[in-house]
Amino acid sequence: MKHSVNRRHFLKLSSFTGGGLMLGLVLPEWAKATGSAADCESFKPSAYLCINKDNTVIVYVAKQEIGQGVNTSLPMLVAEELECDLKSIKVEIAPYGSLGQGAHDTGGSQSVMGLFDPMRKAGATARTMLIAAAAKRWNTGVEVCTAEKGKVVNNKTGASLSFGELVCDAAKEEVPKEVLLKNVKDFKVIGKGQKKNNLKDILTGKVQYGIDVKVPGMVYAAVARCPVMGGKLVSVDDSEALKIPGVVKVLRYEGTGAPMHVRAGVAVVATNSWAALRARKALKIVWDESKGKGVNTAQLEKDMAARAKQKPAEAIPVKGNAADTIIAGPNSMVAEYSAPFVAHATLEPVNFTAQVKDGKCELWGGLQLPDWTVGLVAQELQIKSSDIKVNLTLSGGGFGRRLHSDFALEAVKLAKQLDHPVKVIWDRTDDIRFDVFRPANHHRLAAKWDAQGRITHWQHHVLTTSITRVQRPDAKQLSENLGGASQDFWYDIPNVYAGYSNVDFSINRGWVRGVEFVVNVFPLESFVDEVARKLKKDPLQYRLSMLEGRKPFEAKFNDNWKETIDPERMAGVLKLAADKIGWHKPAAKNIYRGIACHCYTTAKAYAAHAVEIEIKGPKQFIIKKIVATIDCGLVIDPDGLKNQMEGGTVFALSQALKSEIHIQDGKVVEDGFFNYGVLRYNEMPAIEVHVVPSEASPGGAGEVGLPTLAPALCNALAAAGNRPRRLPLQKDGYSWS
Amino acid sequence: MPKHQLNINEQVFTVEAEDDMPLLWVLRDVLNMTGTKYGCGVASCGACTVLLNETAVRSCATTIKSCAGAKITTIEGLSDALLHPVQQAWEEVNVPQCGYCQAGQVMSVAGMLKRNKQPSKETIEAVMSQVICRCGTYDRIRRAIDIAVAKVNNP
Repeated sequence: MKHSVNRRHFLKLSSFTGGGLMLGLVLPEWAKATGSAADCESFKPSAYLCINKDNTVIVYVAKQEIGQGVNTSLPMLVAEELECDLKSIKVEIAPYGSLGQGAHDTGGSQSVMGLFDPMRKAGATARTMLIAAAAKRWNTGVEVCTAEKGKVVNNKTGASLSFGELVCDAAKEEVPKEVLLKNVKDFKVIGKGQKKNNLKDILTGKVQYGIDVKVPGMVYAAVARCPVMGGKLVSVDDSEALKIPGVVKVLRYEGTGAPMHVRAGVAVVATNSWAALRARKALKIVWDESKGKGVNTAQLEKDMAARAKQKPAEAIPVKGNAADTIIAGPNSMVAEYSAPFVAHATLEPVNFTAQVKDGKCELWGGLQLPDWTVGLVAQELQIKSSDIKVNLTLSGGGFGRRLHSDFALEAVKLAKQLDHPVKVIWDRTDDIRFDVFRPANHHRLAAKWDAQGRITHWQHHVLTTSITRVQRPDAKQLSENLGGASQDFWYDIPNVYAGYSNVDFSINRGWVRGVEFVVNVFPLESFVDEVARKLKKDPLQYRLSMLEGRKPFEAKFNDNWKETIDPERMAGVLKLAADKIGWHKPAAKNIYRGIACHCYTTAKAYAAHAVEIEIKGPKQFIIKKIVATIDCGLVIDPDGLKNQMEGGTVFALSQALKSEIHIQDGKVVEDGFFNYGVLRYNEMPAIEVHVVPSEASPGGAGEVGLPTLAPALCNALAAAGNRPRRLPLQKDGYSWS
Repeated sequence: MPKHQLNINEQVFTVEAEDDMPLLWVLRDVLNMTGTKYGCGVASCGACTVLLNETAVRSCATTIKSCAGAKITTIEGLSDALLHPVQQAWEEVNVPQCGYCQAGQVMSVAGMLKRNKQPSKETIEAVMSQVICRCGTYDRIRRAIDIAVAKVNNP
């Protein structure tokens, strides 16, 4: 396997991790409709669905279900056009390889956006063919036949035939080149809240995730990984580990560099997870950790703050002449903001199962970018991609962790040394210490305004431990995925300049429930609020004055990445959030409110948060209420959307309040939920989600509910007189309840 | 290797395992009952919660030996037909996202309600703060607990 495969995938990958091209819009091969003439058990008009003689409809979902609800929302699209009861649909993971390249890519909150038309067309195609088959059976025209509730009805005679009764005939019909899709007003399934498709399986313990995979002959492995990136094994004494009952053997492998940065490892292989985990503790290992020396987050913070005052490595003169303007003096302001490395900490820790046998490989687990994984595995084993079989599973959370393939490559490095399939178990400490962290970031913003208080000049210097650079050290353009929310954003400002600097740091980085540019929203929405407050203007009205009346415009981030931003839609979510938090009502004593908004360009969605707090002491507060609002166009599953916004808010609240990864001498300090802070039940504030009704083409939601929570909360604290400029709040001594 | 008799979901199993093997791994790797989930291994996340004599415990921190003579209930033993009030409440509110933590959430509430049919807000917070949901379904869990409490008191 040549490197070019990965390269090509990378180009595609960057198109959704930051840039604007749509991913996964791979149309199914509209293969000749099948339904074997011999047994005639089923009708499979496309790779997306199959109808069986017993009337069951199977919908194949190619996107990785990680909690975002694709296994509920995508089948709804098929049911709508096919005219069948959603309950009659059995959801299956689309077999890897049954659709084109990129079909399984899951990220950027783009699944519904990319499949809104293809899944509906799949349903409509099947319906059209079933109707044609029924019409022939009745010797009548298709115009007198309609499909409803899993049947085709003859409107002249009242006769009906179930889809199951028609599968043989429908399979013989020509696949129509074009099909008619319903108008929004005729939707019966889309727009109605649905129960999660596998709710019953979840509540009875039947649901299976990657960690539950069991393959005949399988062994279990726990890996001791080099604590620092790029480090090497010096020696290992495995004599004590091998004495532990259940231990089969101890294996070693070397680490690899970009893009996945697999750490060097020593693996204990055993007959069960517990024996492997226990024996790992008995290994006596000496690592060469010299590469981690001096790699400290405390120093990184200082380096970033110092670098912020210098000229950016890459400068983009977005609009007007802000680049050459020195911002200083009375009608101006400069401020800096920062946020640390954060982990995914999916509740199902990373795990993966692999078998390598006779020049072929089989993989089991949850993967958000399986094509990328397959390319890298093929390269590792020097085999063809077609000799790799991938069995995708459900995942207990993704948040971008399963976009990476380090864990899969590790399992393959072990499997090629074994005669058995092997499941690599990561304990919680492994999962946190060897995560792929959301980059630490620092921002310097400067603004200048005129006599009326209108911002005329805006500069934003983004400093980050770049994802692009850790995956592709030779990447030419650092800013390629960082333009959103820093270049041509939603506020109407005539002179805008954005600059980007990478600050080298030896730890692996990746996307955490958001594309790379979302870290720009906290500084942007804090700073605009600071300017408003300095000018003694209402922060809501100040924002609206830069949004209302502004026409939709095309924001161009680079040659491949353009997005339309509609400031009126932005204003819409902002006003709704303000209304629902009671922005215009006087606040009681010690009660303060903050607000923030953003446009998640790559998911074609607009969102806002409004937060109400009660101040209990100088750095002590209670979150009384959170309002989250979204406009993501046409809504498929309103209850699923609300769940995503609630969940996004909780995830963001963890990050705003207490999530932080520290690194000392290249080693991650945090090792579990005792010291890596995530929100718990007792800290959950009251939350309301409100949706702006829209018939705009559907966007996404999974990542959209995060970016504005931290600035809205910090803006409320600023209203009380104390502006936080770095996250998490815990770091600066804040406490909450 | 020592032999152990386990009474799980009203069925008796004989298992050969080290005395200190955690119940979690016995369930998952030996008995292939994967409804009980691994989340941390050190009783800090609640994902592996099961009932031991009707009390919610973390199976990752419960040795097989300490289960001798006890009645163990896992998520698989609650009710296949969703007849348990906690399952019903969870279904009504449509709580889960990824679903991974939910066995632990449901078993924790089931255990709490066995001991106390009318738990105070403080009791609920003390119990449920031990169970992490990374998808962030806490508000739904809160609503579902209210429903489950009502169902238990007015069956």
